[in-house]
Amino acid sequence: MRLAVPAKVLLQRFAFLFLVLAAFGIMLLSKAETVVVEKVSTVVVDVFAPIMDVLSRPAAAVNDAVKTVRGLADMREENVRLKRENERLLVWQEAARRLSSQNQALQSLLDFKPAPNSQSIATRVIADSGGVFVRSVVVNAGDRDGVRKGQAAVSGAGLAGRVSTAGYQSARILLITDINSRVPVLIESSRDRAILSGDNSGKPRLTFLPANASVKAGDRVVTSGHGGVFPPGLQVGRIEVAPDGVMRVKPNVRFEQLEFVRLIDFAGVSPVAPKVDRGAPPKQAASR
Amino acid sequence: MTPTLSHLFDAVARNLVPAALGVFFVLISSIPFYLPGFGPVAPNFVLMAVFFWAIHRVDLFTSVTVFFIGLLLDILVGLPPGINAAVLVLVRTIAASQGKVFRGKSFLVLWWGFGLVALAAGGVIWGLTALYHLTLIDPTPIVFQMAITVAVFPFLAWVFTRTHQKLFQHV
Repeated sequence: MRLAVPAKVLLQRFAFLFLVLAAFGIMLLSKAETVVVEKVSTVVVDVFAPIMDVLSRPAAAVNDAVKTVRGLADMREENVRLKRENERLLVWQEAARRLSSQNQALQSLLDFKPAPNSQSIATRVIADSGGVFVRSVVVNAGDRDGVRKGQAAVSGAGLAGRVSTAGYQSARILLITDINSRVPVLIESSRDRAILSGDNSGKPRLTFLPANASVKAGDRVVTSGHGGVFPPGLQVGRIEVAPDGVMRVKPNVRFEQLEFVRLIDFAGVSPVAPKVDRGAPPKQAASR
Repeated sequence: MTPTLSHLFDAVARNLVPAALGVFFVLISSIPFYLPGFGPVAPNFVLMAVFFWAIHRVDLFTSVTVFFIGLLLDILVGLPPGINAAVLVLVRTIAASQGKVFRGKSFLVLWWGFGLVALAAGGVIWGLTALYHLTLIDPTPIVFQMAITVAVFPFLAWVFTRTHQKLFQHV
């Protein structure tokens, strides 16, 4: 008994040291992008996905209720605005139809090979990075629904991120604002190429922009499709020039209210990634 | 009265409460709340739980439990795995070693102690994240998060104190 107490203290000290070292070890393994760490993380998220799915529903319901009440308040105004917008959009629809048929005619003249139609998978956000130094979300669809690593995640307003890991029934989306996110983009008006680099702030920076690029605040930024990860032409956001002269992009997506995202299956068009047979079409897939 | 099987189950269930609360707060921390600007600065509930239970029932909140709670938080939130595991084990050890200082003292002393621990934890999280990414990261969000965490602490501490009294007053 006299020996037992110091032994216990020693064991506790040892446990503390061992656990801290273990934590650092795991960090190093993850930094080295070890497959085991990624696999284990994916499985853990997968196991907890159903629980988070259930837990996140009340929050989503409250959010919807708040939106409904707010919506009721300015329904009249909204209605007038929508009617006006509808008139405007009908004109555009006419133009789009005309251009579409003209485009088809011209494509057949040129024997043009169009990009294959991409399919998309509708998913719900079930986990949000509450962490201060990471920008990612978890969605409730995975491998079984046809989600693959690298697919682009879009919400109604534009590009939100890409699938960084896909589990069996869940997948993690790395948002374009995360410090690890790099997206090849185009300035829509000038066609200048650049890289959109996340830095954990709400507005990612525009890097590798050519020195002679004619870019101004308010210009629209779209994905360029280079690298084959994202389909070209997805809306990303608008350019803002920070007071320190750094070009930043204000994303179209409002990340704090990201509730549903569509994952676009775009593999197979890139010259880098060879086309693979994906078997049966995904269950949840809804092409648009 | 001889301890029957139901008594045993009851005792085991009670003893599991602190760890279960830890896991519960990990899940709460990872679900989306859809509030503008809330996500990045949501209070660190897990830190509060670890600090409180390490002071009051360190025997039910072992280093290994805390390690896995931290690891789970890292994985679910998408942080580099190991950061919260290391920080929470550290916080548990500090809180447990200072348990005597805080137990039975006024709440202000506990709050003050938590403030210091939160400051240290925030610093370590920031340092480790910057080291992990090998870039200097803007520390503003973590400063905000820890300030909110310290501000919210009294409410959660009250809930924990009630839980603690209800569960263990007859033990």
